[in-house]
Amino acid sequence: MEPQITAFLYQEHVLWIAAFIIGGLSFALGPIAIVYLFMPLKTRQLSDKADQFIECGMDPIGDSWIRYGVVFYLYALIFLAFDVDVLFLFPVALAYDDVMFASSIRDFIEIILFVGILSLAVVYAWIKGVFKWERKTYLRR
Amino acid sequence: MGTENVPSSVIQFALADKLINIGRANSLWPLTFGIACCAIEMMATGCARFDMSRFGAEVFRPSARQSDVMIVAGTITKKMMPGIKTLYDQMPEPKWVMALGNCAISGGPFAFEGQYSIVLGADEFLPVDIYVPGCPPRPEALLQGIIELEHLVSDWKRWKNPEAA
Repeated sequence: MEPQITAFLYQEHVLWIAAFIIGGLSFALGPIAIVYLFMPLKTRQLSDKADQFIECGMDPIGDSWIRYGVVFYLYALIFLAFDVDVLFLFPVALAYDDVMFASSIRDFIEIILFVGILSLAVVYAWIKGVFKWERKTYLRR
Repeated sequence: MGTENVPSSVIQFALADKLINIGRANSLWPLTFGIACCAIEMMATGCARFDMSRFGAEVFRPSARQSDVMIVAGTITKKMMPGIKTLYDQMPEPKWVMALGNCAISGGPFAFEGQYSIVLGADEFLPVDIYVPGCPPRPEALLQGIIELEHLVSDWKRWKNPEAA
C-alpha cells in the first residue's frame, strides 16, 4: 500500500481565511450585539400593541393574503404573446425599407408565416376562452 | 398607565449616555401625526419660514417605529384615543410626548358640561413631557417647546443663559 500524504497543506492560507471569516462575522454581528447591550430592553406600553404590524394606529381589518381572480394573470400572459409579436416585428420594420426586400414576395410570405406562428398563442387562448371576462371560481378545499 | 420610569439597558455607561443624549437632543424626530388644526401650525414650523430643521427636529417620520417625539397636535377625540395609544406603544424608547395646543393640554374649548366626544387633555392617558399652550400655538411656541424638550433630554444647552453671564 502506498503511503498517503496526510500533511496539513497550506496552513497559512487556512489561518488567513479563518481570520477573515471571523473578522467579517464580527463586523456583521458586532453592531447588533453592541446595540443590544445599550438599548432599553422594553418600551413603555399603554395598550400592549407594540407588535402590531400596521403603523397607523388603527387595528387592521382582515388579512392581507387575499385571492385575486386568475383572469388577471391570464390576461397578462396574453399580453406577453402580443408583446413578443410586436418585439420581433420591430427589426422587420427597420430592415424592410431596403431595396433588397422591395420586390421580393418570398420575404413577405416569410413574415406572414412568422407572425402566423406567433399568433397561434393568441388563437389558442381565444379557443380556451381567455378573452371572455368571466370570474372563474374554484371550490376552496 | 405607562408613566413609570424609562426602561434601562443592560450596560449603563454614564459618559456614553451623556454623549448619546446630546445626540438625541439635537435630532428629535417627531412623528408625522396631526389630529387637528394645531397640525397646520406644526407644518408651518416644519417649513422654510420657521424652519424646524435649525433644531434638528425636521425629520417627521411616517412610522412610529422611527420617531422620538410624539407631538400631539390638536383635539383628541375618544375615537382617536386607542390609535394614539397604539402609536405610543410602537415608538421605541426613549420617547417623549409633547402636548401642542390647549385641546391637547386640557380639552381647550371642548371642556364644557355635557361634552361627550373629546378627551380632556393628552395627559389623561399619555405621559406628557412638554406642554405648549396656545389656540393654536404660534410656530415660535412650538420651537420653544422643542428647545425645552432638548433641555429635558440632556443638560447640554443650545444657548448660554444671557442672564448668568
